[in-house]
Amino acid sequence: MKLKAKLKGDSAEIKVMALHQQMGREEAETKKGTKNYITHLTAKVGDRVVFQASMGPFISKDPYFKFDVAGVKKGDTVDVDWVDLSGATKKESIAIK
Amino acid sequence: MQRRKFITLTAATAAVAAVAPSTLSATDFRKEAPKAWEAATSQEAIEAMFGTGAMEEGKIEIKAPKLAENGGAVPIGIKSDIDLAAVAIFQDANPRSAVVVMEMPEGSKIDLMTKIKMRKTSDVTIVAKGRDGKLYKEVQKVEVSIGGCGG
Repeated sequence: MKLKAKLKGDSAEIKVMALHQQMGREEAETKKGTKNYITHLTAKVGDRVVFQASMGPFISKDPYFKFDVAGVKKGDTVDVDWVDLSGATKKESIAIK
Repeated sequence: MQRRKFITLTAATAAVAAVAPSTLSATDFRKEAPKAWEAATSQEAIEAMFGTGAMEEGKIEIKAPKLAENGGAVPIGIKSDIDLAAVAIFQDANPRSAVVVMEMPEGSKIDLMTKIKMRKTSDVTIVAKGRDGKLYKEVQKVEVSIGGCGG
C-alpha cells in the first residue's frame, strides 16, 4: 500500500493506493485470471473509523482513494486496512505530516 | 460513536459489520444490499441501495474529465459542503452499475477522489446520504476514448 497523510489547515488529506489486481468476473474470463478484488477498505485514527469504502471490481486496478480527516494533528497515526473477496487482508500505517 | 441503520435498504438480513469491529454505520453495504451490486443499470442499483425517495440535485460537485483517455482509471472527484454520511458512485459503462460506497464520520470535509473503470462513454451518477438522512444526487456524462474494463 502507498500512503500519504498531510495536515492542511484543520484537516489531514489522506491518499491511499492499495496494490491489488482488482479483477472482476468479466476481466477474469477475458484475461484468464482469477476473479478477486478488494471489497472493503477502512482507515482509522486510534479507535475512530475516519473513512470506509465498500467496493466492487469497477474501482480501478490498485484502488485509489483521497479523503479528508478532521480532528487530527501532526504525528497522529492513520491505520489503513483492506480485505478482498478471497479473505486476504493487508494493513499499513502512516503518521500525519 | 452512534451506530446508524440505513432505513431505505430492503435486505432482510440484519445489518452486520463484516470488517472492523468498529465501523461507521454497522452497515456492510455489500451484504446489506447485494441486489444493488448485481444490478446492471444505475436506476436499478440506486433504487436497491437508497430507495426511491426524492434526491436533491445541485449540492454535490463532481470533478471528472469530460473526455477520459484511459477508461481503466477515470478520476472521479466529489466535493460538497453538506455533512454527508455516505457517498456512492454509479455508472452505466460496465456490466453492473455500482462501483463504491464511501462513508465518513461526522464533521468530515467532503473532498473525495477515486479512480473507476469505464468501458465506454456513459453517465456517472453520485448519490449521497446526508447525516440527517436526506438524499442528494448529481450526474455527469464522461466520454471514454479507450474502454478500460477488460474489454
